[in-house]
Amino acid sequence: MSRRASGLRAWFLQRATAIYLILFLLYLLQHLIFNPPDSFAAWQGWVAQPLVGLGLLLCFASLLLHAWVGFRDVLIDYVHPTAIRVSILTLFGFALIGCALWVMQTIFLATVA
Amino acid sequence: MKFSVYRYNPETDSEPYMQMFEIEQRQGMMLRDALLAIQEQDESFTFRHSCGEGVCGSDGVNVNGSNKLACIAPLTELKDPVEVRPFPGRPVIRDLVVDMSQFYAQYNQVDPWLQRKEPLPEQEILQTPEERDQLDGLYECIMCGCCSTACPSFWWNPDKFLGPQALLSACRFLADSRDQAGEERLDKLEGPYKLFRCHTIMSCVEACPKGLNPTKAIGHIKAIMLKEAI
Repeated sequence: MSRRASGLRAWFLQRATAIYLILFLLYLLQHLIFNPPDSFAAWQGWVAQPLVGLGLLLCFASLLLHAWVGFRDVLIDYVHPTAIRVSILTLFGFALIGCALWVMQTIFLATVA
Repeated sequence: MKFSVYRYNPETDSEPYMQMFEIEQRQGMMLRDALLAIQEQDESFTFRHSCGEGVCGSDGVNVNGSNKLACIAPLTELKDPVEVRPFPGRPVIRDLVVDMSQFYAQYNQVDPWLQRKEPLPEQEILQTPEERDQLDGLYECIMCGCCSTACPSFWWNPDKFLGPQALLSACRFLADSRDQAGEERLDKLEGPYKLFRCHTIMSCVEACPKGLNPTKAIGHIKAIMLKEAI
């Protein structure tokens, strides 16, 4: 009795990440409207706050997971030859991992500065 | 009223073509009446129909781009000239007649019958009125195929995605208090294809001539799955 396979899990992940993304983007928007950082140092100081940094990390993790599920859905729908699908999916996976590492580096650098 | 009708006879035509017909519109005329009038002008014109009142589900066609039952589509609601085509994405047998075998095979895959594990009682299995209410909006499906053949996910993966009709039927049996195979039914729908190719496009809801909501039924199945998984 395994319901944890690719169908339900992917679908749930997409919904859950979407909810986090919308909430965090609302917070981001109000922050940029009401307290727009006016200098690089202000940006850095904002990101260096532990809660903001954690929130941002979660936001990007959600974004990348969401993109992964969505992109995989598009490929399952439209790209049927297995070899091409696997190749594109692998490339996209590496690109997402690259993005993830880059985001982590940026937030880490802001935190230690 | 002018009609542009899809014609294809695989025995004589190398490829399909559209043919114009003009018929005189009478009051209260449905599209099926117009197709019958066309057939009087050209008796080689072929389409399926039977009851003529939206019960048998035989005369589903694509009209001006959307799937409808010809017998309950009033001509007054259609834009002139009316373009009539067979269901999209299905192999054409002749003119408006399509091969629906795959659609029936998908329906068959959800085991569309009541399953009991306990021995059957001597009398009928009773339901409370509330339990019976759970079946409303699910049991009325006449399997005309308007929904599944309007579904983009069914166009792309008709062999793997069950399509709105079969999933509505799956939900009908999951919702039935007398059925005892819920676990097995859910297990059979797992994986990325059978159920989860539905992206809530809702073309099925728009197409259903009986006003049913397969998207809602699919959402209900997902909710049951989630509840069972956590």
